[in-house]
Amino acid sequence: MCASVKYNIRGPALIPRMKTKHRIYYITLFSIVLLGLIATGMFQFWPHSIESSSDWNVEKRSIRDVPVVHLPADSPVPERGDLSCRMHTCFDVYRCGFNPKNKIKVYIYALKKYVDDLGVPVGNTISREYNELLTAISDSDYYTDDISRACLFVPSIDVLNQNTLRIKETAQALAQLSRWDRGTNHLLFNMLPGGPPDYNTALDVPRDRALLAGGGFSTWTYRQGYDVSIPVYSPLSAEVNLPEKGPGLRQYFLLSSQMGLHAEYREDLEALQAKHGNSVLVLDKCTNLSEGVVSIRKRCHKHQVFDYPQVLQEATFCVVLRGARLGQAVLSDVLRAGCVPVIIADSYVLPFSEVLDWKRASVMVPEDKMSEVYSILQSTPQRQIEEMQRQARWFWEAYFQSIKAIALATLQIINDRIYPYAAISYEDWNDPPAVKWSSVSNPLFLPLIPPQSQGFTAIVLTYDRVESLFRVITEVSKVPSLSKLLVVWNNQNKNPPEESLWPKIRVPLKVVRTAENKLSNRFFPYDEIETEAVLAIDDDIIMLTSDELQFGYEVWREFPDRLVGYPGRLHLWDHEMSKWKYESEWTNEVSMVLTGAAFYHKYFNYLYTYKMPGDIKNWVDAHMNCEDIAMNFLVANITGKAVIKVTPRKKFKCPECTAIDGLSLDQTHMVERSECINKFASVFGTMPLKVVEHRADPVLYKDDFPEKLKSFPNIGSL
Amino acid sequence: MQLWRRKSLWLALSASWLLILLGVFPLLRVAVPTKPQPRAPLGWPQWLDTELLQGFSQPEDLLEDDTQPSPVPHKGSCDWGTCFDTSKCRGSDFKVFVYPAAGPISEMHCRLLASLEGSRYHTSSPTEACLLLLLSSNNHARGCSMTVPLEWNGGRNHLLLHLHPAPCPWTVQLGQAIVAEANPPVNTFRPGFDVALPLLPDNHPFRGGAPGQLQRHSPHPRVALLALAQERGGWHIAGTNSSACPWAGHCEQDPGSKQTQPGTAIPNATFCLIPGRHPGALHFLQALQAGCIPVLLSPEWELPFSEVIDWTKAAIIADERLPLQVLAALQEMPPSKVLALRQQTQFLWDAYFSSVEKVIYTTLEIIQDRILGASAHPSQLWNSPPGALLALPTFSTNPSDFPFYHLQQGSHLVGRFSALIWVGALSQPPLKLIQAVAGSQYCAQVLILWSSERPPPLKWPETAVPLTVIDGHGKVSARFFPYSAISTDAVLSLDAHSSLSTSEVDFAFVVWQSFPERMVGFLTWSHFWDEARGDWGYTAEKANEFSMVHTSAAFYHRYYHTLFTHSLPKALRTLADETPTCVDVLMNFLVAAVTKLPPIKVPCRKQQQEARPLVAPGAAKPKLAPLAGRDCISQVAAGFGHMPLVSSRLRLDPVLFKDPVSVLRKKYRHLEKG
Repeated sequence: MCASVKYNIRGPALIPRMKTKHRIYYITLFSIVLLGLIATGMFQFWPHSIESSSDWNVEKRSIRDVPVVHLPADSPVPERGDLSCRMHTCFDVYRCGFNPKNKIKVYIYALKKYVDDLGVPVGNTISREYNELLTAISDSDYYTDDISRACLFVPSIDVLNQNTLRIKETAQALAQLSRWDRGTNHLLFNMLPGGPPDYNTALDVPRDRALLAGGGFSTWTYRQGYDVSIPVYSPLSAEVNLPEKGPGLRQYFLLSSQMGLHAEYREDLEALQAKHGNSVLVLDKCTNLSEGVVSIRKRCHKHQVFDYPQVLQEATFCVVLRGARLGQAVLSDVLRAGCVPVIIADSYVLPFSEVLDWKRASVMVPEDKMSEVYSILQSTPQRQIEEMQRQARWFWEAYFQSIKAIALATLQIINDRIYPYAAISYEDWNDPPAVKWSSVSNPLFLPLIPPQSQGFTAIVLTYDRVESLFRVITEVSKVPSLSKLLVVWNNQNKNPPEESLWPKIRVPLKVVRTAENKLSNRFFPYDEIETEAVLAIDDDIIMLTSDELQFGYEVWREFPDRLVGYPGRLHLWDHEMSKWKYESEWTNEVSMVLTGAAFYHKYFNYLYTYKMPGDIKNWVDAHMNCEDIAMNFLVANITGKAVIKVTPRKKFKCPECTAIDGLSLDQTHMVERSECINKFASVFGTMPLKVVEHRADPVLYKDDFPEKLKSFPNIGSL
Repeated sequence: MQLWRRKSLWLALSASWLLILLGVFPLLRVAVPTKPQPRAPLGWPQWLDTELLQGFSQPEDLLEDDTQPSPVPHKGSCDWGTCFDTSKCRGSDFKVFVYPAAGPISEMHCRLLASLEGSRYHTSSPTEACLLLLLSSNNHARGCSMTVPLEWNGGRNHLLLHLHPAPCPWTVQLGQAIVAEANPPVNTFRPGFDVALPLLPDNHPFRGGAPGQLQRHSPHPRVALLALAQERGGWHIAGTNSSACPWAGHCEQDPGSKQTQPGTAIPNATFCLIPGRHPGALHFLQALQAGCIPVLLSPEWELPFSEVIDWTKAAIIADERLPLQVLAALQEMPPSKVLALRQQTQFLWDAYFSSVEKVIYTTLEIIQDRILGASAHPSQLWNSPPGALLALPTFSTNPSDFPFYHLQQGSHLVGRFSALIWVGALSQPPLKLIQAVAGSQYCAQVLILWSSERPPPLKWPETAVPLTVIDGHGKVSARFFPYSAISTDAVLSLDAHSSLSTSEVDFAFVVWQSFPERMVGFLTWSHFWDEARGDWGYTAEKANEFSMVHTSAAFYHRYYHTLFTHSLPKALRTLADETPTCVDVLMNFLVAAVTKLPPIKVPCRKQQQEARPLVAPGAAKPKLAPLAGRDCISQVAAGFGHMPLVSSRLRLDPVLFKDPVSVLRKKYRHLEKG
């Protein structure tokens, strides 16, 4: 609208100057405008190419309709794979660029059918599994349809099984992909490499710098840190319904279920069976079954017929022996049955070995030790066997179960190489969910006693009790290890007293004003806190002696990952009410300390402010209560450790509040605190608090020893 | 004409308006694709005939044929399966033979031989050795010549240990020998066969070694974010707020925001950037020691002990081609991750790198793990404190059997203990003590370690728990032998002379359950540096702090018996046998070296502290003890190479201990008597 106004203003002014112009000028102008109009109209109503292609893609199509590409016999063939390739030499990381989500972008080439000069197809257009694999990638967060923004390219040329393709022609098909560029950043998936007679352990198709996700790599062909070793998918995973069977010793100690084993290996296995009797079972294909029975699902021992893969569930250990190829689909079936695979395949690079810890789920036996397999396995303790069985099953569920699982794990591995600072940890890859749930990883795991010289920062939360605050400041400043004092001024309606009125102390004193009167402000990780140790102290805690506080700091140094406080409290299970109860009586046990005065690591301030589970933080601020219980929960939950109660102190007596410290008030207080515990326990999903029966006292506390020789003689009483 | 002109002009004008309206907006839409209509990404199509697709493999593909499985071709290279003969490494015994030096013996060689001789690996016969260790000489003058030993056998089962980078290529045909060298190039390194060592400075301590320099778990809020390794050595500290990229040659940096500290040997920063091209630089170890998280830019060398150490937990291996991206990632790294990485650097330094001895034992342990196969160290033992050198796989491969991993494992301790009572040469059967200990509700069994020359009595007091007598062979170090009869995690070690009440035992055990990796004791000693003698000493006098607990009455994890017997150098165990007081000191050193934490003291009744003999019973002349004790602590400290003991200033008492409240309220009221 704005532009049109301008034009109208300018229009009349132009006309007088036009008078001198030639007539032809106007005709030209007119026709140009007319042409422009027609062109615009055409542009408006012409079907847009982008949208039309999307329509073409969304609609369901048949494989038979995919475009056919003719490959001339002399079209270029890529170089053979470069064995020296590493991520920082052969991979173009610039394509992956900066990415706030730390996720690579994967592009999939459109499906085409490649034929040679004579019209003979180069290979199977696409197999069921490869179609599933590409669908899985396409459905994942990695997928992009924008080829120019992609970091990784996945050709739709199916090379899962080398037997189904023509090697040279497939290579030519790869080479003519639009972004091939010597195969840089291209990922090929292959499960069955090599072919007779020599069965190479990697795909024979020349592929230059392309990454290979291959099943059956040997250490000689695997480019560590570049290729990805993947499982050979077992189609039985989808076909057969096999209910999970728990771990434990099973009917057969050792089972071999593979068909088509080499005669020498079979002899070795049968010798084992002869030696150890019924605990070893060696199966073979069934020869005398009537026609029509699916032989892949049956195994025989002499005349006994077994169902496969069900029979795997009857064995503790299952042999996974190499055939002509190193990678065997039976590994997947064995893992699924919760049978511990005994892998006998020298130099085999196990699936996802870059991230999976196979020692936890399998036993590897050198080929020349095959005759000793039984005795090697027998030395495994029962508990370890069960652990391995659980781990085997978990590996199958997470990484073998479906083509999708295989594809996503492969991409995750490549993703972790490109964004190493966002990589998934060993525990995330390997720990089964049950372990992840029950284990605790202490954020301060290093046994380290911080030097005394670091000192601590005292944080006093105050609202308006200035007189009491000043007394606390004066008292705390007497503690030798105090290095800084921080007053958190939580009153927005009143300014803190002038600087000249504050007590003069030997350490820096800093006042922080808050935006809102919230209890959580006391646990904020202020930049002003430079020490690791923080002493949270209320503005009315004046009864703690300097010795007591200094000793508290010394105790914190020995337990820097715990809450170290003075009065202790306890949580109890109320059987009648079936809920938790807060206890402040003089008990023999402690599970919490009050943060009216407590030492703890500054990192817990960060956790309290940013990582508190659920709505606990808001709940505390809304109720103006229980911030200390929340802190106790938080620390106990993340460290798995109990608090340390220091010295006999049982309660903080504040002289001013004795008057209102009536019985009824006390009871509502207790009810509220109990409610907090129940609320927090439900948010955490567990009761993290740990009960202990000890407290920390100075070594010579109440010992028969001259008081003046004691380091901390002035430890207050109750 | 004028009219026509004017008309046509107006027409043209209005037409151009139409043009603008119709044309500009669609053109804009095309020209500015940044705000596209939200549309679903065009995924892989759903084929109509998915059902008709064939599987990638037919049963016959999976079955293969009965072809001879040809050995995988490997072009003369080696891997573990093909080049190492494990048949010589029977059982759990991993024996190593070290070739004597050819020609003038170097100091390093000498110390290595001495160290291995006292270890559990040692054998003096090359024929019974599983591994033959050949220490390559670092004598530049003679070149890299190495005499091929008699038992060379193509290098089979040989370990070529090259602690310093080779100034020239190997002259001997390596053949099937395992090569352990510093910073091996990725291209020639044989994963799973060779061992990558760290690059050690020439003056690296042989034993003990400097502890990590990290003094804080979390970085100081004002510490620099980055320190850059400089080619000529030393570090360059980049400013905290450096948003510009700090790479030399990549971009210029504001000179105001940096402070060059020439010759800074130890970087004081959160992250340490180390270029991957200069394997000769010592920066990597310096960063580890300083607790500065190493950020390795496309390293072209194999990281030390990468076979077992999970470096992703302690370092960041980034691509040097994306400097800005790396910098952004470092700046945005969450505090929890920084915290974890920092601590891991320190743990790894202390566990595997701080001394030459640790580096060598780690190498041997890696090779032993390969031989052990399924019963090797689980990854967790390598990668969490105290580390694999102190967590022996011969004890167990299940982390929850050790005292260190309960929290990580989510496992629980068995709530019982075994009392192990050592009866020395002159002692009487400790009948009263047996009654008191067996009276504890947590006691699972009583074991009597009979070391007296007199035969044990036939009749023992009736106890509620089983009582077993074990022959102690008269040796003091037999006290800490891992007897298979010890069935519980907790051991209560006692002397026949100890006197404890049931209540004391109960409380101490409950405390121990909170600290299963530490020793929990009643009587304490403290060590001190004796300026006058220039040596360590220790005292049993009452003091405000302590660093050792007396093992004549202490709870600890049974794993320490295994560690004491199998990991301590032979010389130290002999010392303990010869000077019985020393056994206490030795055990305290061992536990402190493992945990890096002080033991825990619990209260005991007063008179015992005074009546307690200074030396372990059995030593004939107690008067000599202080002097002997002094020598003992200095000898043990020399054996460890450093002083691991840590002092504590606290005692753990029952919650209501000596409080002025009714005795009836107190659970451990008997503790206060006397």
